[in-house]
Amino acid sequence: MSANNSFQKIITSLQSYWIDQGCVLLQPYDLEVGAGTFHPATVLRVLGPDPIWKAAYVQPCRRPTDGRYGENPNRLQHYYQFQVIIQPSPEDIQNLYLESLKFIGLNPKDHDIRFVEDDWESPTLGASGLGWEIWCDGMEISQFTYFQQVGGIEVKPVASEITYGLERLAMFIQKIENVYDLDWDGNDKKKGGKTYGDIFLQQEKEFSKYNFEKSETSALFKQFNDAETECKNLLDDNKNLLALPAYHQCIKASHIFNLLDARGVISVSERQSYILRVRNMARSSCLAWMGKLNE
Amino acid sequence: MNSMEKSRGNLLLEFFSEEIPAMMQLNSEIQLQNLFVKSLTKRNIAFESFKTFSGPRHLSIIIKSIELEQKDQEIEKRGPRFDANQKAIDGFLKSNQLKIGETIIKETNNGKFYFHSQIIKGQKTYEILPEIISEIINGFVWPKSQRWANTDLKWARPLRNIVLLLNDDVVRGKVEIGKNVFLNFTNFTFPHRYSDKKIVINKIENYEQLLEENFVILDRNKRLDKIINDTSSLLDKGKLKLVNDKSLLEEVVGLVEYPNILIGSISNEFMKLPREVLSTAMRVHQKYFSITDKENNLNSKFLFVANSIKEKNRDFRVIEGNERVLKARLSDASYFFENDIANTFENWNEKLKHVLFYESLGSLHDKIIRMANISKIFAKEFGVKSELAKQAAILSKADLVSEIVMEFPELQGIMGGHYAKIKNEHKEVTKAIFEHYKPKGVSDDLPETKLGSLLSMVDKIDTLVGFFSIDKKPTGSKDPFALRRNSFSIVQILINFKINLSLNELFEPSLNEYGCSSQSIKRNLIDFMIDKLKYVFSYKKNRMDVVNSVLNTKFINDIPIKIISSRIHSMSKFTENNDFKIFLANYKRINNILKSEKFSNDAVLQVNTKVFDTIEEQNIYNLSKSFSKEIFKKGICEKSQDILINYLIKMNEPISLFFDNVIVNHIDHKVRINRLNLLKNLHNSISKFSIFEFIED
Repeated sequence: MSANNSFQKIITSLQSYWIDQGCVLLQPYDLEVGAGTFHPATVLRVLGPDPIWKAAYVQPCRRPTDGRYGENPNRLQHYYQFQVIIQPSPEDIQNLYLESLKFIGLNPKDHDIRFVEDDWESPTLGASGLGWEIWCDGMEISQFTYFQQVGGIEVKPVASEITYGLERLAMFIQKIENVYDLDWDGNDKKKGGKTYGDIFLQQEKEFSKYNFEKSETSALFKQFNDAETECKNLLDDNKNLLALPAYHQCIKASHIFNLLDARGVISVSERQSYILRVRNMARSSCLAWMGKLNE
Repeated sequence: MNSMEKSRGNLLLEFFSEEIPAMMQLNSEIQLQNLFVKSLTKRNIAFESFKTFSGPRHLSIIIKSIELEQKDQEIEKRGPRFDANQKAIDGFLKSNQLKIGETIIKETNNGKFYFHSQIIKGQKTYEILPEIISEIINGFVWPKSQRWANTDLKWARPLRNIVLLLNDDVVRGKVEIGKNVFLNFTNFTFPHRYSDKKIVINKIENYEQLLEENFVILDRNKRLDKIINDTSSLLDKGKLKLVNDKSLLEEVVGLVEYPNILIGSISNEFMKLPREVLSTAMRVHQKYFSITDKENNLNSKFLFVANSIKEKNRDFRVIEGNERVLKARLSDASYFFENDIANTFENWNEKLKHVLFYESLGSLHDKIIRMANISKIFAKEFGVKSELAKQAAILSKADLVSEIVMEFPELQGIMGGHYAKIKNEHKEVTKAIFEHYKPKGVSDDLPETKLGSLLSMVDKIDTLVGFFSIDKKPTGSKDPFALRRNSFSIVQILINFKINLSLNELFEPSLNEYGCSSQSIKRNLIDFMIDKLKYVFSYKKNRMDVVNSVLNTKFINDIPIKIISSRIHSMSKFTENNDFKIFLANYKRINNILKSEKFSNDAVLQVNTKVFDTIEEQNIYNLSKSFSKEIFKKGICEKSQDILINYLIKMNEPISLFFDNVIVNHIDHKVRINRLNLLKNLHNSISKFSIFEFIED
């Protein structure tokens, strides 16, 4: 395996490409999130204050229900997204994206690239947009969304979000069938080179067990309520709105909800009300960020 | 000829956007044509013909021989009356900036008036076009649309370029798509993504070919033909055939600009999965077509349509990539399948207790219990064993919590059937679960087996009654629980299997299960079903008037559906029969007399036989009594409907004689009333069979 298409090389290539396009390079948000979208650099920044915002960052994502105890070659409860958010959406954004693929060793002209309709909606964020899944030879390698709403608020100007599924993309580029076989660093195994499995297999096993079997649900229920209360408190004092910490609590609640969901302790009818509660936190935080809460 | 050429030319309009969802394209083509034609007609600009195109990014229309100048328009304004006072006349002149000599006086139906007629000079077409294009863009309705960057305009996906050529020249102008955001009209468009070069359109007549040379086939029918032709030439060599999938084909046509048919292989290890799992995984996620051999066995090859130009190395790479993706998908599916096989129906049913069917309608587990109870009651009518009917209902929803159905909801029922088979359930039960979601619409196949039909019907009755009982019946175009489709399916099963159940009997057990005793809910359900019966009978090519006449019969909800069906069938046969036509004429005559007397429909009237003074009256009296008896005896016998109609026909002579020899409008009030009552009773008696008023000549 050459060092050129290693997992870490793909990340650094994408980073430098998007830096060249004028993006600020950020680091992951330091909480468990279900998708790169949750990062305040996306959710809050597309609502202002500056109508021009360009950012790129890697975000580890956690989807507890997708855990497979390390036994499935394609599903992980923890994985990486590379997120690009550009506002207003540039006219040549599709080409900018296609161009980026060349930098990670994937020339679109050598493949069958397709933009397949995929309307995106995040019920917990009260966010939605239209866009596509991007297929490369039948494999979904990225998602592309024109943000229309976040926190139930119209996004103006419209932002374009590109999300690269890094594992999928790397598997495609390295022609690997099992995610755990991905070459992480491009170094020879004998000289200490690491695969994705070397680094994450144990984590997948342990967290799958935790997510599905061991998490303490009564504590989680309490944590959810605590986060909700704190979020409300932080947005209580109209003269002293703490939008960012409030949104931080919203992210926490969202992940706790996902953990509870994985334990199967939320019934179908309760589910809707939990989603609504997270959405309300997101909406209030967004409004506070814009200075429009209680308006 | 020459002047004609100068006054007309061709027009090309192309909306170039980012990839429009496949299923919206065809409709957008139709919309473009309708909006454009409407805008031109409104402005008196004539044209000869048009052709439209749609694909992922190009949506266009060519209008042939369009007038280059709008026709002059004469606008006539009416002023005050000729004899109006001077003030009114002056006012008219002033407001139109006219002198009295510029008006004319014309005679109308209401008298003489001042008129002023004005010729409005037609504008050049190219001058009006920007306004037309803006009208079209703003008039467009997409099922889902979006803004982008700073636009206010909503389009299915960002609109990036507008080509507007008239007589091969670009029309100068632009449209506003946001505050101070404009799109200028251009004479260039974009080729297949393999090239980034703009292509300039010099001649409208070359437009289609120019794009094809740049690997964009604009005409969706041409793309479809290419897919079909290339496929058959690829497959014929191997004696294989494509599984017919029209909607997938239509979708794929909207996903590619230059179709390239490629064939890949399914890894052998997955061929043990149920066929439906394989084809669904391929179809839903990957939009691949399944291939079978002549004996209809699934082949280990699959077919897909790439958006590319044939090129050996690339094709090889693309196939390899797709095979790898499929392998990942199928290893997921087989992981779920293995887990499911290790699970049990008991376990799944236990889980169903925690899955809500609908708020206040209980869990899915509650639903299967209700279904089992109703199934037992109807089993006999379907000629199936009550125990099997119950078992099928109990196992029917388990697969909804199986892993594979969670992943592929469209496999519901099918997987339940497979798993029941694997768990050695009774063969009939297995098949019933497998097919109990059928039929999925008026044109879908029915379940093949009686048990499957019973299960399907009972499932749908439970859903229908449940939602009606909580007042969630469909309103207007809103039918979120697909109750209309459900009831169509019930009706089709009832008719097809000639089920001896009336609408009353059909709903009673289910209403009991829900503990619902409301008469108005029951009435609503029955009215709803009668409506669907009408639709299905007319869909089956019965005359609407015949269907209406039978379904409006009093107490229709007590008549078994199979009798209703056979009565409609018999009536349809007789509509061309001359004797039957005479009967209808007689009936109409009676009806008209009764109508003018304003008898209420339900009136039952005493006839005094002692007042009769003709044999014809007595005959009519006997007829009406004996037909009532006859319909009581034979009315609910499926095969007797023809006999009953013949019975009606036999009334022709006595009725004719009655009208020839008896005066209804007798001077003696008592005699007159008695004769009217006599006719009313005959009418009542006939109406037990059908309301013939509905039959049209």
